[in-house]
Amino acid sequence: MLRYILKRLLIAIPLIFGVLTLTFFIIRLAPGDPAAFFIQPGISPNVAEQIRAQYGLNDPLPVQYVKWLASVLQGDFGRSFSRAQQPVVEVIASALPITVTIALLTLVANFTFGILIGIISAVRQNSFLDRFLTVTALFFYSMPEFWFALMMIILFALKLPLFPTSGLNEIGAEGFGSVGFVLDRLWHLVLPVTVLSINGAAGIARYVRGSMLEVIRQDYIRTARAKGLPEKLVIFRHALRNALLPVITIMGSSLPFIFSGALFIEVIFAFPGMGRITVEAIFSRDYPLIIANTFISGSLIVLGNLFADVLYAVADPRIKL
Amino acid sequence: MIDDKKRVFSTSGIMGRLFIALVVLALSSCSRHNAGSGKARTAMDSTLVIAMLGDADYLNPVLGSSVTSSNIIGLIYPSLLQSEFDTATGLLNYIALEKKLRETTSGEAKKTPKGAVAKSWTMSADHKTLTYILRSDVFWNDGKPVVSGDFKFTYTLYGNPVIASARQQYLAELVGAEKGGVDFDKAIETPNDTTLVFRFYKPVPEHLALFHTSLTPLPAHRWKNVKPGEFRNSPLNIKPLGAGPYQLKSWQQQQELVLGSSPKSDLPKPGTIPLITFRVVPDYTVRLTQLQTGAVDVVENIKPEDFTALLKANRQLEIKTVGLRVYDYVGWSNIDQGEYHKSGKVIPHPLFGSSRVRLALTHAIDREAIIDGYLKQYGVVCNTDVSPSLKWAYNDRIAPHAFDQARATALLKAEGWLPGADGILQKQGKRFSFVLYTNSGNARRNYASVVIQQNLRSIGIDCKLDVQESNVFFENLHQRKLDAWMAGWAIGLEIDPLDVWGSDLNKSRFNFTGYQNPRVDQLCDLAKQKMDPLGAKPYWLEYQEILHRDQPVSFLYWMQETQGFSKRIEGEELNIAGSFYNIDDWRLRPSANIAQ
Repeated sequence: MLRYILKRLLIAIPLIFGVLTLTFFIIRLAPGDPAAFFIQPGISPNVAEQIRAQYGLNDPLPVQYVKWLASVLQGDFGRSFSRAQQPVVEVIASALPITVTIALLTLVANFTFGILIGIISAVRQNSFLDRFLTVTALFFYSMPEFWFALMMIILFALKLPLFPTSGLNEIGAEGFGSVGFVLDRLWHLVLPVTVLSINGAAGIARYVRGSMLEVIRQDYIRTARAKGLPEKLVIFRHALRNALLPVITIMGSSLPFIFSGALFIEVIFAFPGMGRITVEAIFSRDYPLIIANTFISGSLIVLGNLFADVLYAVADPRIKL
Repeated sequence: MIDDKKRVFSTSGIMGRLFIALVVLALSSCSRHNAGSGKARTAMDSTLVIAMLGDADYLNPVLGSSVTSSNIIGLIYPSLLQSEFDTATGLLNYIALEKKLRETTSGEAKKTPKGAVAKSWTMSADHKTLTYILRSDVFWNDGKPVVSGDFKFTYTLYGNPVIASARQQYLAELVGAEKGGVDFDKAIETPNDTTLVFRFYKPVPEHLALFHTSLTPLPAHRWKNVKPGEFRNSPLNIKPLGAGPYQLKSWQQQQELVLGSSPKSDLPKPGTIPLITFRVVPDYTVRLTQLQTGAVDVVENIKPEDFTALLKANRQLEIKTVGLRVYDYVGWSNIDQGEYHKSGKVIPHPLFGSSRVRLALTHAIDREAIIDGYLKQYGVVCNTDVSPSLKWAYNDRIAPHAFDQARATALLKAEGWLPGADGILQKQGKRFSFVLYTNSGNARRNYASVVIQQNLRSIGIDCKLDVQESNVFFENLHQRKLDAWMAGWAIGLEIDPLDVWGSDLNKSRFNFTGYQNPRVDQLCDLAKQKMDPLGAKPYWLEYQEILHRDQPVSFLYWMQETQGFSKRIEGEELNIAGSFYNIDDWRLRPSANIAQ
């Protein structure tokens, strides 16, 4: 298995590199100018030119590419154009913890609730409970995240002022003490994590229900029941393990989400996470930041897929890597 | 079997327990919050919270270019002069401790002269030398005095091409600038710590000289060892040392920036409100909700359609307006851009080349309907780009071109545009059909463009609408690739329109229409030569008449900027010069005194 992982990682290097090269050229060919902000009345026409020179954008494209390549190979992704020349790595380092916190909380909630609801629906197939859960899950699954978030804010922050509308902490939260500060942070995370996990859990529940239904009709489940095993054991040990295979794929593909952020939620709840950074970078044509973000999400997609493949082998001994 | 299923169903027991655990956690965090809310309330009583769309870029006056940065820089750093907008005349006034450019006519001055580092100034008779005498009793936050050398040092930074300051245009009249580079040894002299002399290569009107020489300084003793190449990346940028009423307490980028009243400040005094928090809230709806729940105190640029609901939901809010500085217009390409790009030849645009056609288009657009439907009392029909707020120069004898489709049709007919078989006007086989472009994400322009489309359709003009991503739209505009578009300008408080209407299309970068009128160039030059702005008034009156007649674009409406304020703020004076004009004098009523 180790050999397999190493092989996959080696293949990933040229792949990610290709993605970065492509991104490098595409963003430079797209209309828009990182110095566009400085082209306005009252600002000397020289300024935009000087800014472009500072960013190295006046060189011919191949020269820019070679320079960029040299610095990226040394691990230097450059400085952000739009964020006061902060090193790109720092910009990302400040956003990642926020994104990862939200994403991890969400994923745990997603899979816990998704799997539980899925099992219940499958075991009690066609009952009122199953129909109720199915319809509710579909209802939330088809709801646009940003709209759902706004509705939650209107309901639980405006009409019933239980939770804050946005932000990571209350004004003056530094004075609450460390426990108070963490609780205040968690209190701010309730609404966004709820929105993300209700949406996600509904999707996962559909997958689990489908694959559970298929599995519980198998002969080995009947055999297990015939042996007189308790139903709990039949469902959780024999059926669930097999039914979770497709869920593992989803788990693997969720990895990029942990690091790339949930754009709408970040914008609406005013969290400075990765999603917002990426989109703002694109709008302001912040080339170094766009490339660094592409690098992160590209690598994670590759790693996520690898992770899912490895998990397959763990979950199903028949699969050999 | 059935029994077993029931047992399995007891998994919902696990779920129930989980739910209970979550509810307990949520409640406990709520109650914890309530326990802390006494503290939170005290914190709110001493903190003013302003919601912002975006974060500040640099807290360095040489580099800061966003509006947020300018607002914050104005509170942290000292300024040579105080500037004040006189609403009665529309003229900018400059104030030093013991001298004013002109007496204010609109009652009492709002700005205290104590906010200025300069004690007084003298302009030489030939208008080529401006000498400031500085106060000797003002200090940076580290205790070092603010001296003339700080100003000279910072001006060398403003003028350094490696630093690429957006304000280098301010140095354009200093000695040496006419040869391509300011000669700082000759242009700025500091004979002693309290004397600062600026020398210009040509006579400069006093108000412009004051405007251009009062850029914000940096403390030279702190910055002198920073190399220009490293200036933008210097860690000093996030630890600003100032002398103004506030100082930076903390800055979590993209989240919040906190300013604290600076206890030792003498420029003019420590800020009245102890803490000012600028919070980044990118989503408009959430900014509104926060204003409604009282989580923030100020939200800028509230859309007129949200006023009623907002004020109904929270009686402790009010809408304040400033303006008029911003207008929207429909741009018509006056010249054939394709031909101009190809051969450099200027020929009239096949559709919009004639001023009579453009006049007809203005007559055909129901500007009042757009104002009534969207801006309501916060909009005014726009005649030219001289704002009614600049009363000294505004031509109030110009009557707006009325909404008159019969006249529009007659004008078009006189130009040879007659209805074709499909109802669309035609001239020599060419249909009057075009695409009106605008930038995405602007609800007001979307609304207006639909009204315009309908108006034009009813006189037989086929106007298609297209919305482009902002970067793409503005790039197309700058490259003069569009025939018709809808955009807007925010005007400066000094009238200087040559960039927008100058006949030299290579030099006038913002003349997107390709409009050319030698008399307009001449009037702008004549006005600039006047040493007293009021002397230029006749030129500006004529300038407005010409634009009104030629209609290089169809001017649509001036807009009031509308800001939402919590009523717990007292003493705020909003001004065309900015919503945070006298923020250091604002006060907060304690929450206990606010009737719910």
